[in-house]
Amino acid sequence: MSLWKKSRVSDVVHVEGRMETERYIYTPGPVGVKVAEALMEGRIMGVKCGNKLYIPAKTYCPDHSEGELVEVKGPWIVKSYTIIYEDMYGAKLDKPVVIALVGTEEAHGGLIHYVEVEPDKVKVGLKVEPVFRPKEERRGLITDVMFFKPVEHG
Amino acid sequence: MRVAVVGVGWYGFKPTVPELSFREMMFEAAVRAYEDAGLDPRRDVDAFISCQEDFWEGIAISDEFAPEPIGGVLRPTMTITGDGLQCVGQAYMMIKSGAFNVVAVEAHAKPSDIMSPQEIYEFSLDPNIRTLKIPNPLFQAGLDAVAYMRRSGASREHLAMVAVKNKVRGLLNPRASHSAKVTLDQVLDSKPVIHPLTRYEIAGFTDVAINVVLASEDVARRLGDKHVWVEGIWWATEVGTGAVEWHEWGRMPSMRLAALGAYKLAGVEDPLRQTDFSEVEDRFSYMELLSLEELGLGGGGAHRMLESGYYNPEGGYPVNPSGGSLSMGVTLEATGLSRLLEVVLQLRGEAGGVQLKDVRRAVVASWRGPPTYTSIVAVVSRD
Repeated sequence: MSLWKKSRVSDVVHVEGRMETERYIYTPGPVGVKVAEALMEGRIMGVKCGNKLYIPAKTYCPDHSEGELVEVKGPWIVKSYTIIYEDMYGAKLDKPVVIALVGTEEAHGGLIHYVEVEPDKVKVGLKVEPVFRPKEERRGLITDVMFFKPVEHG
Repeated sequence: MRVAVVGVGWYGFKPTVPELSFREMMFEAAVRAYEDAGLDPRRDVDAFISCQEDFWEGIAISDEFAPEPIGGVLRPTMTITGDGLQCVGQAYMMIKSGAFNVVAVEAHAKPSDIMSPQEIYEFSLDPNIRTLKIPNPLFQAGLDAVAYMRRSGASREHLAMVAVKNKVRGLLNPRASHSAKVTLDQVLDSKPVIHPLTRYEIAGFTDVAINVVLASEDVARRLGDKHVWVEGIWWATEVGTGAVEWHEWGRMPSMRLAALGAYKLAGVEDPLRQTDFSEVEDRFSYMELLSLEELGLGGGGAHRMLESGYYNPEGGYPVNPSGGSLSMGVTLEATGLSRLLEVVLQLRGEAGGVQLKDVRRAVVASWRGPPTYTSIVAVVSRD
């Protein structure tokens, strides 16, 4: 092989391909369906594992028990955040977006979601609330929450 | 019975390797590793392990492509979907079991062939999170960095200092294609990509194939005195990608657990005293500091130690004397083997321009990268 390596890029051959992964059915499972139904009704679910609360709800707890589905009503706060300015290819976004882990004071985890706030106004501990899509547009996905927005004072 | 690294070989360490396919790169690395070990793969190597992931290969069931390039035809050959250091852990167990004397491990990366890396990273997220179409799938690094800084008190300057240390150091390492003569001001003045990380603080990608040959103590001693010992190796996964929100943001418990496991096997109680240097995860600037804290190498705060110059090549405890991933690039599932390779060369006194003086024992730590929370740690020694 060493004798055959090309030293001019124009001599290097490559063949374009494609990974056929466009179609797949994801099974949400019984817990996933309950979480989806709750979202359509404007509710966000967590899971109680012993005396700990985890957000979002999943089928299994970290301790391998099944846990108990519970609604999380807030109050919601930004637990960590980032601001995205560019995609992985270095293309600048038209407008930076704020992504946050939004949870509650006592719960573990939270939802990863957009926060509609000026980038210089976001901080850990910022009080926020979910803004749901109109009921007829909801599909049982996390995008049923359009974004979180800061709680207005007064 | 001890387990040793008896040979290493690599091909690439460039942002692109257009002349060869990834399988040919594996072959080139393997030939070099077997030559380095003084072993014939068809006669002397008992088993072969490849660490890879289908989506990086553009092929489904890519494990079945592994045998020929590494000499594993008609032999026990297997693939682990994980970082190369996880393969080393497997080889370590196989040799310790007494059923295998020599095991070859390989991992490779040819990101330059991947036309849609962003889409693959997106595809690795939970399908529900994917529906959010977050414009950069490495966003988890930003969430962790902000949480880490808030908890530790590390500032933007500290993160930038990591980038400067590693980018500049890499100029002395021929394997560090992403190294550069950058200054603190340059890093701090550049625009963030994923807050708080600038382009200087997010490692680029690198093509490479790396092969590491491991052997039992008997074989190692028979081969000469070039070997270095794997004294301990361990790994852990936190909550998986399916429950990534539950991750302890700003910490890396998987790194901590992997370190504790590896230190226990190696008899290390105080890693800062009992080891001489380390090669750790740094594909994002904050990850070097967070890794050091979780590895028990952070003293009273990794950012303060960094500030004092303690982690510099000439400091009390050099960290990433190779320039790390920030200089060498992310080599996908070969990232852990990149770190191990640099440690092996250091301990053999073959690290050239980045060679440290009088080093006998080191910590190697790797993270599988976003969106995973899987970490692997090894203790490697000359003695």
